[in-house]
Amino acid sequence: MSNKINRRDFIKLTFAGVAVLAVPKIMRQVQALETLTPNGRQWAMVIDQSKCTGCGYCTLACRAHNDIPPEISWNVVTKTGTVGAQDVYIARPCMQCAHAPCVDVCPVKASTYRPDGIVQMDYDRCIGCRYCEIACPYGARSFNWKQFDGPNSSVPQWGQPEVARRPRGVVEKCSFCYQRIDRGLALGFKPGIDEDATPACVVACPVGARQFGDLNDPESNVSKLLKGRTSYRLREDLGTSPHVYYLPATEEAHS
Amino acid sequence: MKIKLPKIRSLKIRLPQFTLWTGWILGLAIFLTAGATAGVMVLWKGLSLTNLSDKVPWGLWITIDLSSIAVSAGAFSLCAVVYLLGLKRFEPVARTATFIGLIGYTMAVLTLLLDIGRPDRFWHSMIYWNEHSLLWEVTMCVTLYLGVLILEALPIFARFEWLRSHLPKLADNMSQAHRLAPYLAIAGLVLSMLHQSSLGALYGVLKARPLWYRPDISVLFIISAIAAGMALTVFASMVSARLTKHANVDNNLLDRVAHIIGWVLVVYLYFRFWDALAMTYTYEPGRTEGLQLLTGGVLSFNFWIGEILLGAVVPILLLLNKKTRSLPLWRMLAMILVVGGVVAYRWDTNLSGLLIYLSYLPGEPTMAYATYHPSLVEFLAGGGIVSYGLLAFSLGVRYLKVVDHNVVKVHEVEAKVIEAIPVPGD
Repeated sequence: MSNKINRRDFIKLTFAGVAVLAVPKIMRQVQALETLTPNGRQWAMVIDQSKCTGCGYCTLACRAHNDIPPEISWNVVTKTGTVGAQDVYIARPCMQCAHAPCVDVCPVKASTYRPDGIVQMDYDRCIGCRYCEIACPYGARSFNWKQFDGPNSSVPQWGQPEVARRPRGVVEKCSFCYQRIDRGLALGFKPGIDEDATPACVVACPVGARQFGDLNDPESNVSKLLKGRTSYRLREDLGTSPHVYYLPATEEAHS
Repeated sequence: MKIKLPKIRSLKIRLPQFTLWTGWILGLAIFLTAGATAGVMVLWKGLSLTNLSDKVPWGLWITIDLSSIAVSAGAFSLCAVVYLLGLKRFEPVARTATFIGLIGYTMAVLTLLLDIGRPDRFWHSMIYWNEHSLLWEVTMCVTLYLGVLILEALPIFARFEWLRSHLPKLADNMSQAHRLAPYLAIAGLVLSMLHQSSLGALYGVLKARPLWYRPDISVLFIISAIAAGMALTVFASMVSARLTKHANVDNNLLDRVAHIIGWVLVVYLYFRFWDALAMTYTYEPGRTEGLQLLTGGVLSFNFWIGEILLGAVVPILLLLNKKTRSLPLWRMLAMILVVGGVVAYRWDTNLSGLLIYLSYLPGEPTMAYATYHPSLVEFLAGGGIVSYGLLAFSLGVRYLKVVDHNVVKVHEVEAKVIEAIPVPGD
């Protein structure tokens, strides 16, 4: 520091430097928010509450195919009330939000958006800080407090594990079974139509309450369902834009 | 067999005389051993040994983490006072604060290593950047600032007697780091202003948690940290001076710092008041219930007594009143109350947002409550980390003379650097 720069200038320059570095970064992030909608596929799930009987097959199939420890469930089924004489249930997988709080907060980018809209977890990168768990409005994330080394009670009755068990100390969540989607697409199958390319919970549902498909394809079953029926998403007020839609149970739908 | 008595006499071990110092070190060693055992158990068996859950994933250790960073804020604020505002007379206090800061940040890093599920991947945030994440920003700032603190503390370590006699050259080089002090003060100020507030913003950005989701926590965190950081520095200095001849303090100097703390607390309480009042205006699902946890629920004693009465109101009265402030015992009481109040604030902030959560179910928002009581392992490991901090400070007082207000002489090299930067109005 020469005598020509005094302390005041030095501090000013420091702050100016920080501002110059920070502003383009912030601008880029604002732009990124606006252009988040992908041009390719956008996987979505539609859950019809008027059909759901709360049998829990979806949870069991999920447990088998994704090899989930007994303390954790990626897909929670809850009874929410009754319509007429019928019990109403709600199944909650990961919402695969378009503006996912978990992706925002992860300090190591272990949670990212896939181009097809699925929020992907990198279990080799997660440091287990659990910030995403706290940030998720849907309680869709679970921490592996223990190593899962026992038998999986849902295997083989409900399917065979398709992914590796997560190690102790990382957070895990529903993945829309992208291992099935990716392999199915590679084999020329259509997710949502062909069972081998569709999430295990959708395949397992005995009453067809779950539908899966591409929102960007107007001919997909999910696009058609959403066009024809009234739907809602969970905690829409938060602006997370979930990709799981619910068709409410109504008196008419049951009769 | 014949026993030779004279030989036994010569084998007699000379036990060191039991003094306050050996007793203190022995006590800390016990807690440290227990803490280290608990820590190893957690690393080996995993976080299932804690009472943390998916509902309350952050608990006692996060409180220790946040608190040790908050009480380290004396380092950046006092260094800024000395090197940027040019109030050189506070230099000896800033030295103590820097040493406390170094200890505090290492405590925070230790706690974090224990608290994350994969300590072996602690370095991931250095490699895989998510600039959007406040936790990433905090991690980077804490790491960088730890580097700054190490550089700032080099001249302090250069005072170690053994080093001076055995490696005089190294000791000399280390004290040369003094010439970096003003630049380090700027770096420390920038980094601290970023992460001290971001630790609050970390909670404030979560829209899933209505009680936290407001901009004020970041402001409150940094102001309370400045108060607590300076308070711990004053308290630790005064206690050391009372207990050991290795430390000596300038009472007038500490009196001035204590006066500043009093006013910082007034600012803090003012913002705190508006923050709380704004939240009570209208019913907001989750937020109102969270506030009720603080004002009338499980956290109410902590909130009213720990945070507000003992943590802010009483110290303000003690510190803004010249009579009580100048009496060492009252001043010390005020200082430890400020530190306790800020620790209570960090605990309450974390838990008030976690103990209540909004249901995702459709329809009118419903609330659910969680519970959390730290497990024995959490207490032991936490106690171990705190004992490490106390031990490090005690050793610093004894061997590095970190509390020494007699050496007001600013290092020659450093004095030159300070002169090179004209002080406005000089």
